[in-house]
Amino acid sequence: MRDRAATRALVLGLLGLPFGVFAPFAIWSGGRSLRRIRISNGELKGATSATIGLVAGIIGLASLILGVAYWFLAS
Amino acid sequence: MARGIWRVAIVLLVVLVAAFTYPGAVLVSMVVRLTPAPAVSSSAPQGALPWLHVEHPQDGSPYIADDRNRMVLLHGAIPGGLIDFWNNSDPSRADTPPYYPFDAGAYDGQCPANSGYMPVPPLCQDDIARMAALGFNSMRLALSWSLLEPQRGQFSGTYLDRIAQVVEWARAQGIYVILDMHQNAYSRFVGRPSTPALPGGAVPELRYYTGAPAWATLTDGFPSTTYSGQREINPAVLEANSNFWYDRSGIQDEYIAAVAFLARRFKDDSTVAGYSLFNEPLPGWNLPPGFEDLLLLPFYRRVIDAITGVRDGLPCWTGFYMPAICGYPDLGVRDQRHLIFLDAGLLRHVMDFPTHLGMPVSSYPNVVLSLHAYTHVFSLDHLLGIDPKSYPWGGYDQTYSLAEREARAINAALFVGEFGDFPSDDAQILATELLEQEQHRVGFAFWTWKENCGGTSTWGVYQGIDCGQGNPASEPPNGCLRVERERLLARVYPRASADPSLSYHYDSTTGAFSLAAHGEPGDGPTLVWVPREAIGEVVTSGAATQTITISGDGSRLVSVSPSGGDFAVSVSAAPLALTGCS
Repeated sequence: MRDRAATRALVLGLLGLPFGVFAPFAIWSGGRSLRRIRISNGELKGATSATIGLVAGIIGLASLILGVAYWFLAS
Repeated sequence: MARGIWRVAIVLLVVLVAAFTYPGAVLVSMVVRLTPAPAVSSSAPQGALPWLHVEHPQDGSPYIADDRNRMVLLHGAIPGGLIDFWNNSDPSRADTPPYYPFDAGAYDGQCPANSGYMPVPPLCQDDIARMAALGFNSMRLALSWSLLEPQRGQFSGTYLDRIAQVVEWARAQGIYVILDMHQNAYSRFVGRPSTPALPGGAVPELRYYTGAPAWATLTDGFPSTTYSGQREINPAVLEANSNFWYDRSGIQDEYIAAVAFLARRFKDDSTVAGYSLFNEPLPGWNLPPGFEDLLLLPFYRRVIDAITGVRDGLPCWTGFYMPAICGYPDLGVRDQRHLIFLDAGLLRHVMDFPTHLGMPVSSYPNVVLSLHAYTHVFSLDHLLGIDPKSYPWGGYDQTYSLAEREARAINAALFVGEFGDFPSDDAQILATELLEQEQHRVGFAFWTWKENCGGTSTWGVYQGIDCGQGNPASEPPNGCLRVERERLLARVYPRASADPSLSYHYDSTTGAFSLAAHGEPGDGPTLVWVPREAIGEVVTSGAATQTITISGDGSRLVSVSPSGGDFAVSVSAAPLALTGCS
């Protein structure tokens, strides 16, 4: 059975790249999904989606923080 | 196997989306920041205006400077005579041909008749002399892409010659020209004025729609109907703008080629201060900050890459939705001596607040952020009908102080590329904007030089002609010089100074002026312009000596040479010698 949060993490991760506001939710969903999959002993699937969503979320959040921080530091 | 392919596909999708969006934009901005600026130095020929550049002090904000590294303040107006306005000589037609001639010969020693069919009078040599008489040392010359490239790939040498003619007139008056790729609501070809409006909307008044040629106006069948009385809130306008930002059918590439065509002609002309790449960019269906960070600023980077040849980006394919990481191929112009004026997105002008992250655009050093200061004119309080005391929160200063930070963030100088108001608001709005510009040491381009029709409601320095009278095809060139605007805009101001931290103030009520600065021996002189309207005594005190050059009309240019230390320049209060209609 597929963990629903894995797909959600992937979608939120993709949205978090252009719209950084989604990125923290992607990280949260991805992390939670991976934890559930790990302790399900193979019953739950979707580790790839969850991982990609998590990574995309981290990249999106990092970009947002860098971009905003740059504005304040450079100006 | 299938799962492996699926995983690879998803990873590629994420990488692609990342390249098109903030991760790509942030990455490129950091690369741009770290890329050394090209070293360019050049002296203008004898008698020509000095080349301008952006000076980048270690411990201060970038500023526009001349070849002696003096801060230069540009004061000027924006004439609309070279804009491709729709004219209502035949209201049933949306595609009326240009009304005024664009053959330079039609302006040699003569001026075509003004017409109430057009929003502005034709721009003639006498206009430039009048600008100089008001003490303007620059003008933002508004142009239209639709005249520059009327057919796809076919650029108009006739229009270019007409632009060159105005530049020549300006050179004779010692006036810098900012070549402004102007537009409003994208294009006058967005829709016919006779089309019935959709419910809740209104038939667009095409009179002030300008910009793109018909072939580059891709509305995809969206209706041309305006809402809330705003020409920009029009589905056809929003769709056409979106298609431009996404380079649909390569129209953005054509625009870049048109700017390159312009730059190729004026590459070696120091009278041209620089190029304003796109007036008041409208996001279309896109929203800030993504519009600015992912579409507008990369577009600016592409234009700069194309005309200057700086290589801080990655040459990319064209004719496809362009990711943030793309730069642009060098189009061979290699123009590295002009300023590049970048307008912030239109919503920033409306908000008086930054709507983007402001990451570095280009390693090209001569970039100027062009602020359009319309507080209480087009700002939210006015558009939404809310109490002007409650917004903007920081009052008139908000847009300037934030713009200074935005400019620093992209390593650019700051310039007020546009501001203006209804003449009835001059005592409040115009006077306050000018005060802010003094306090922030920024130059300005006033909208607009002349405007037709509606004697009291037009925005020009001169009153508009009354288009309800006489023959609309043959009107006088303008109404009277507005006395209040002469009082406010013909100012005593420092045109150049080696001290970028100087402070100065002109009181347009009394004619008094004061300036405080610091200089070192050998610094270039501080140049203070005193228009003919200000007749008080000029006194320099402290560590400097003054030389005054008086022109035939009574205006004075004060050259103050520092000897090392603080100095002050003042003009005493005296009744202003306003000319008005005389």
